[in-house]
Amino acid sequence: MPPENVPVVDQASSPRAEKTQGRRFASWQEHHGWSAAASLRRLGSRPLGSLLTIAVMGLALALPLAFYLLLGNVQKLGETLGQSQAISVFLQPDQGPQQAQLLAKQLGERPEVASVSVKTPQQGMDELAKMQGFTGALKTLDNNPLPYVLQLQPHEELGATAIGQLVTDIRAMHSVDMVQDSGTWRQRLDALLAVGNRAVLVLASLLTLAALLVVGNTVRVDIASRHEEIGVLLLIGASGAFVRRPYLYAGIWYGLFSGILAALLAIGIEFALADPVAQLSQAYNGKLQVGGLPLWLLLAVPLAAALLGWFGARLVSAWQLRKAA
Amino acid sequence: MIHFDQVSKRYDGGHEALSQLSFEVPTGEMAFVTGHSGAGKSTLLNLLGLIERPSHGVIMLDGQNLAKVRGGGVPKLRRRIGMVFQDHRLLMERTVFANVELPLTIGGVARPERSRRVRAALEKVGLLAYERQLPATLSAGERQRVGIARAIVARPTLLIADEPTGNLDPQLAMEIMGLFGEFQQVGTTVLIASHDLPLIKRMKKRVIVLDHGRLVADLAAQEVL
Repeated sequence: MPPENVPVVDQASSPRAEKTQGRRFASWQEHHGWSAAASLRRLGSRPLGSLLTIAVMGLALALPLAFYLLLGNVQKLGETLGQSQAISVFLQPDQGPQQAQLLAKQLGERPEVASVSVKTPQQGMDELAKMQGFTGALKTLDNNPLPYVLQLQPHEELGATAIGQLVTDIRAMHSVDMVQDSGTWRQRLDALLAVGNRAVLVLASLLTLAALLVVGNTVRVDIASRHEEIGVLLLIGASGAFVRRPYLYAGIWYGLFSGILAALLAIGIEFALADPVAQLSQAYNGKLQVGGLPLWLLLAVPLAAALLGWFGARLVSAWQLRKAA
Repeated sequence: MIHFDQVSKRYDGGHEALSQLSFEVPTGEMAFVTGHSGAGKSTLLNLLGLIERPSHGVIMLDGQNLAKVRGGGVPKLRRRIGMVFQDHRLLMERTVFANVELPLTIGGVARPERSRRVRAALEKVGLLAYERQLPATLSAGERQRVGIARAIVARPTLLIADEPTGNLDPQLAMEIMGLFGEFQQVGTTVLIASHDLPLIKRMKKRVIVLDHGRLVADLAAQEVL
């Protein structure tokens, strides 16, 4: 007779035979839950080390966000300033109001032009009079020497080449003395922004790699400090996936928290810039449209960072466990 | 059934731990492997647990050729074997209950069933009252019993133990051996490596004697004096 309470060996009711797929899945889910909680507790059991890792990763991820924010705003600034920059057409001094109106009508009919307005010599004089330091000088003038000026606003969707062609055409008109346009500086700004975008991309790649290395090294140290436990688990039949799971969750936690930190830092930078940007906007009569990082990006950063942490932990744990097995 | 056929194990340095070893242990039998230090006892158990691989020969366990067990098959096979170590190899930051529960968690056994089996195993080794304690608070004998509970909780077909009474006093050692005897009685194959000859003699079980990796004697229970 078998003694009481002795676990009876019975092939038909061995664990392998009696487990259903549903039970397996429930157990798998349970171990995921346990791994997530245990890895979080482990992070909490060494707060300083965990915080330092999260801080380093968070800063590495926040830098590209800050540059992205800066570039985005410079781009918007350029767009806003570009909108306010009309093409100024200075007519010959002998051109009177009728010629000015006629030319304005001709130019207004061109498809590239959104609007045209005529600025009379008197309006020009009044603008000068408002500027500090000119009042006295203007009083000494016998005649108004200013010409008629046409203010052209090209269509927004017009490219730099088309604007350049428009300016060339206007310059060729015999009644036109001089043309001022903003195309050149916009082209330069766009080129600078392209360089900036590429630099941010390279920087983001390097800093992402740095974050990957940081989480990988942290998990490597964690695994190395637990090699005895891992050895025992492997000896009693744990699979590589079972052993690795808590370390993968550790990577996910590191990534998630550093991503949240990076997003918070980016929001902090936005707040820090809010006042000077508001002042700049006021200087442009509130026309300046600057913005922060989009919500989707702020939400995507922690998720992407969690994925990054998982990936770093997976790379390192696979390598470490191959050594341990 | 354990079947060793001309099994040798030679290490990289040239040392031969086992040499052309052949024997069989039928299912449900309890046997001791003995010999002086370095005779090859631990190597033999390591080969069964797939901790090491033989250099030559064939090892069959319940009809399965261990040489063909690779990759994901290794943990699956280990789940059919209960292992007891001289140094217990318990996870010191986990409770007694959690240590014993591990093989069932690994095997995907549902929580209520796990709880029932862990308590049954702990009751069997007389440690149910200690389930919430950490191993560090237990004596060496108690820790060894936790190790045994962990080894038997998943109902293994084979129980192997490497010097399980090495650190225990004779009375405690006899108690532990008594536990192994009980598992054998219910059909578990039990293979114990030990150099404690007085203890082996008192158990009156089959004894496989190794010397420098060679089988020098294979004594049936009734031949043990």
